[in-house]
Amino acid sequence: MSWFNLLKANLRKEYLEMKRYLPNTIAMVLTFYILFIGMFFGIQIIGDPTTQDINIQFTIVNYIFWFFAMMTVNAIGWQITNEAMRGTLEQLSMSPMGIWKIMLMRLIASTVINFIMIIALLYLSMFTSGQWLNIDVGTILPILILTIISMFGLGFIIAGLSIILKQVQAFLQILQFILAGLTFVPLSVAPFLAFFPFVKGVDLVRAVMIEGVTFTQIPMVDFLILGFNAIFYFVIGLLFFFYCERFAMNKGLLAHY
Amino acid sequence: MEPVIEVKSLRKTYKKRKTKELIQAVSDVTFSVNRGEIVGLLGPNGAGKTTTIKMICGLLIPDSGTITINGQNNQKKRLKSLRHISAVLEGNRNLYWRLTVRENLEYFAGNRGESKKDVANRIDELLVKFHLKDKEKELVNRLSRGMQQKLAIAVAMLAESDVILLDEPTLGLDVETGYEVRELLREIVQEYDRTIIISTHDMDVVQDLCDRTIIVNKGKIVTDDKVENLLRLFEVRSYTISLSALLSEKQQILLDQKFPDYKYTPDTIGSKLEIDLAKSEEIYDLFDILKMNMTPVESIDRGTINFEQIFMKIVKGEQQNVLVQSS
Repeated sequence: MSWFNLLKANLRKEYLEMKRYLPNTIAMVLTFYILFIGMFFGIQIIGDPTTQDINIQFTIVNYIFWFFAMMTVNAIGWQITNEAMRGTLEQLSMSPMGIWKIMLMRLIASTVINFIMIIALLYLSMFTSGQWLNIDVGTILPILILTIISMFGLGFIIAGLSIILKQVQAFLQILQFILAGLTFVPLSVAPFLAFFPFVKGVDLVRAVMIEGVTFTQIPMVDFLILGFNAIFYFVIGLLFFFYCERFAMNKGLLAHY
Repeated sequence: MEPVIEVKSLRKTYKKRKTKELIQAVSDVTFSVNRGEIVGLLGPNGAGKTTTIKMICGLLIPDSGTITINGQNNQKKRLKSLRHISAVLEGNRNLYWRLTVRENLEYFAGNRGESKKDVANRIDELLVKFHLKDKEKELVNRLSRGMQQKLAIAVAMLAESDVILLDEPTLGLDVETGYEVRELLREIVQEYDRTIIISTHDMDVVQDLCDRTIIVNKGKIVTDDKVENLLRLFEVRSYTISLSALLSEKQQILLDQKFPDYKYTPDTIGSKLEIDLAKSEEIYDLFDILKMNMTPVESIDRGTINFEQIFMKIVKGEQQNVLVQSS
């Protein structure tokens, strides 16, 4: 029950802060849309007309995933940096629930809220481009859940780094481009990326949404890779976070001000 | 009395980033705090107060030593021991400024695993107690600093922990709000039977509120005694003597030898001699010196000393011997 209360509290906080920082939220959505329009018209003007439709579909899926990864993984880093500077991180660290649980609930809460926003943006992008993708919820959902778990692992790594590094902002800027690389590069170009966090998931979602692949057509080995990545990155992320928390408590780094 | 907190041989060393020089922030600190006590942790900047507080809160790992909270070692059973303590470490900075007063209370309760429903009555009670009921829907960034400070203390109270640690609870507050916060803290102890440790520079807080004070300097405990004992100890040995004649040169030399810190304000109408005695018997030596020239004594006043003066004396080490004897 205490886990559920923790999740509810963090969901509510995420929602309230999004509402209170409404201009920021609107600016974020607008930036997303303007960039998408830019890419969409770019493909239409200078792209190869024979592959135009498929290119636009690829752009929609990649771009949506990149945005989602950024909001989930990067946001936790910014949040921790802000909390450390504000003085609230120490308060969170004093919770008898343990800070890792709070961070996990934060990740889940921001994912749920961002997901709702992403769905709206996905439909807006499809409506603008006139390219309607295959939204097979039954197939996409299990892929997405496993992919998000590996994203959380990455989120924990970023959260840990943000606790111990005062100047993590520069790294977070670079991380946006690393995430773009991971979401935009197709696995056919670099198959080894299948073992990187969420790359396999994005590839499978692309296959479902663009090529119309169904659940039964996805090889078992792909699900095994997804499952392995989810467990591996989540455990690694969590262990790294514990290490950073311990390091910060040794050096007195829980407050950056 | 049953100790709620037991700190034993605590040490913490930091390395300076640039020079790599080792700084002993806390060195062999040992003390205990009983249930229902208000203990003031006093010391100049860099004395090790905040480091000690943060180690008790489990936010900092000591190099050596142990901290037991309600019988639980806060290193071995960190999360369990955190159930017994709450803290206000940075005052109004410990809050979410874009959430309302009530939302802050609910959020922090949620982070301890409690539901909104479970804490609703407690929140209402605290809002009334802290005079924040009419501000419950106000965003924290719109509150005055004093109100934010009160809210931060209310958040710590909501946890219903046995011990509350407060780091500089009156820092940056105006006189009126500072007084209000002090009154609130007094009520908390009386009505809710909480144990409070206050780290502060504000001597009024210590003199007004604390049963006991632990003075730390350069990472070490300089004194650990009841506030009233310290006041009494210093008060009885501080004298102002009004003389209706000047002291001779020989008398002044003797005073210099016997009481090197004495203060003499010569005046043909009425001279003044201010003197602190290390031992009460020393007053006879003083009388002997005055008797030499039959210097007429107009009055002898026992000095009133406030806690700030005591603190300065202790930290300066002027009264080290007296303290050792008194303890």
